Amino acid sequence: MALGTIGGDGRTTARVEQEIFSRGRDLKGSSFKTLMFSALGVSILVLVVLIVDVLVDGWPVLTTRLGGFISGTLRSQSTDELLGISQGLAGSLWIAIFVILLSFPIGIASAIYLEEYATQGRLTSAIDIAIRNLAGVPSVVYGLLGLFLFVTTNNGESTLFAGGITLAILVLPIVVITSAEAIRAVPSSLKQGAYGVGATKWDVIRTQVLPFAAPGIFTGTLLSLSRAIGEAAPLILVGAITDRLAPRDRSIFSPEQLDDRFTAMPIVIVGWVQEAARDVGFAAAAGAAIVVLLVVVIAMNSVAVMLRSYFEKKRG
Amino acid sequence: MFTQSRKQLKIAAAVCTLSLVAAACGGSSDTSTDSGSSGASGEILVSGSSTVAPISTRVAELFESVNSSVLVDVDGPGTGDGFALFCDGLTDISDASRPIRDTEAATCAENGIEFTEILVGIDGIGIMTNTNNSAVDCITFEQLFNLIGPNGEGTTTWAEADSSLPDAPLSIFGPGAESGTFDSFVEIVIEDLAEEAGVEPTTRTDYSPSADDSQILGGIQTSDTTLGWVGFAFAEPAPVKLLEVDGGDGCVAATAETIASNEYPISRNLFIYVNNNRAAESEALTEFVDFYVTEGLDVAVAEVGYVPLADDAKEEVRAAWNG
Repeated sequence: MALGTIGGDGRTTARVEQEIFSRGRDLKGSSFKTLMFSALGVSILVLVVLIVDVLVDGWPVLTTRLGGFISGTLRSQSTDELLGISQGLAGSLWIAIFVILLSFPIGIASAIYLEEYATQGRLTSAIDIAIRNLAGVPSVVYGLLGLFLFVTTNNGESTLFAGGITLAILVLPIVVITSAEAIRAVPSSLKQGAYGVGATKWDVIRTQVLPFAAPGIFTGTLLSLSRAIGEAAPLILVGAITDRLAPRDRSIFSPEQLDDRFTAMPIVIVGWVQEAARDVGFAAAAGAAIVVLLVVVIAMNSVAVMLRSYFEKKRG
Repeated sequence: MFTQSRKQLKIAAAVCTLSLVAAACGGSSDTSTDSGSSGASGEILVSGSSTVAPISTRVAELFESVNSSVLVDVDGPGTGDGFALFCDGLTDISDASRPIRDTEAATCAENGIEFTEILVGIDGIGIMTNTNNSAVDCITFEQLFNLIGPNGEGTTTWAEADSSLPDAPLSIFGPGAESGTFDSFVEIVIEDLAEEAGVEPTTRTDYSPSADDSQILGGIQTSDTTLGWVGFAFAEPAPVKLLEVDGGDGCVAATAETIASNEYPISRNLFIYVNNNRAAESEALTEFVDFYVTEGLDVAVAEVGYVPLADDAKEEVRAAWNG
């Protein structure tokens, strides 16, 4: 229709349409599209190869003894029917609890302060830059920090508390940044409108800013939780155990274990991959553990997506 | 957001409640901990070599059925890191795939930490070829260095790599660089000769590496004049020809006996180091090490794929520990 106005007579229109839409004419456009598609293809291919590879490795374990594998512990032989990941899962669960109880509230609160209360000036932007840099610091550095702050001061004893709090600190800057971005994206018209009808700052934040920013905040925070659960390097420095944790007569939620030595899923996986050089059966166990970790992370990311769409709908 | 924070509170409350219940349960089970047969209880931390860690882990697993109230944790950051922790008094036992260095022993002495060195097993490396290869029976460290070391890069026959060897096609199979067996091989066979030759202490890159020992053993069978190396425990039962090795004192065949007696040159001793003061204070630690030098040496070492000590060596170790 719009094209009809270019020429005036039907023949010109047809010619122009052919120029634009016919096959083989718009070479640049179609080659660009192909390039973009193959870029997407490469990333999907890498993901598929990775998943197929770990599934093939872990298949014997996943199909024959999944229950025993989930309730089992670290063992010296891959043929041991008690071999499994319960200790790794418990450690990772506690790390998640630390992140949820520490990083989320502190991170979101900092973001609210930075975006809504702090006067925008040199100090604020310096803090902003510092937080962004912290988010880019390699995770090993956080491991060193955790080692000095929570292990060395604790007579060199590595505890679940040290591991959990180290990872909570590791993801804190990410939570602050993503939450701040989400809060910054709240249209100022929304806030001005609320102020216009006499709302206080607290009212505006509570009724306008947070509900509007919620989808973004939850996506960011839950992605940071997945990051914390997948980290191995800082935990190696903090002293997560690789070979054996004696069974302690405790529930998985018992806070007493905060003072115990610990392990976590990524550490279990790293340990078994190394063990596979001595005892090949550990390669299957490592594959199966990777599959379980992937399932947990994918489940958490799906929760993020669901929360996002829930809050987006609510915001209307 | 508001509803969510309330939800978080609920979750936190639920966690706390669960914890309280669990703590209560834990408390009641604590009072009846003498489920094991003997009296000692306590916690033991073993750290050090990741090569030795499986032995200590296996011993701990076996010990658990004897006395389940002693909790033994095992970590494997490496021999050097292990000694650093041990000499700071942070661990009770240190696993080691080499004897303690003088500098490390000095740190221990400075911190007033006395220790007992206990030989627990031997990690031997078998040099293999195809069973049809009758041209080579014994191989020297120099020949191995020429064949497998960095100077062998690109050579396709045995003679091309080392003129003293027969002119036969060469294909090499061995563990990848991530393997402990790779490290041991480089350390024992290659390192000194590489230093003399002024090259990097590593292997050539054009061999077929595999993390899977059965693949290495399979590779050896693909042609008549292959060459490879693998942990002795895996090579011994396989249909391959184990070469005699000359480490400077003549050709020695690889057998459990020659490895146990240290005559076979490509082997390394595996140790544990026990903190004496801790052992004196802790009945649990003494009981665990007692178990280590008996059941551990007899059963666990072989179970996780290493060469057990000869009987007289075991007796020596036991006498040294008990004396």
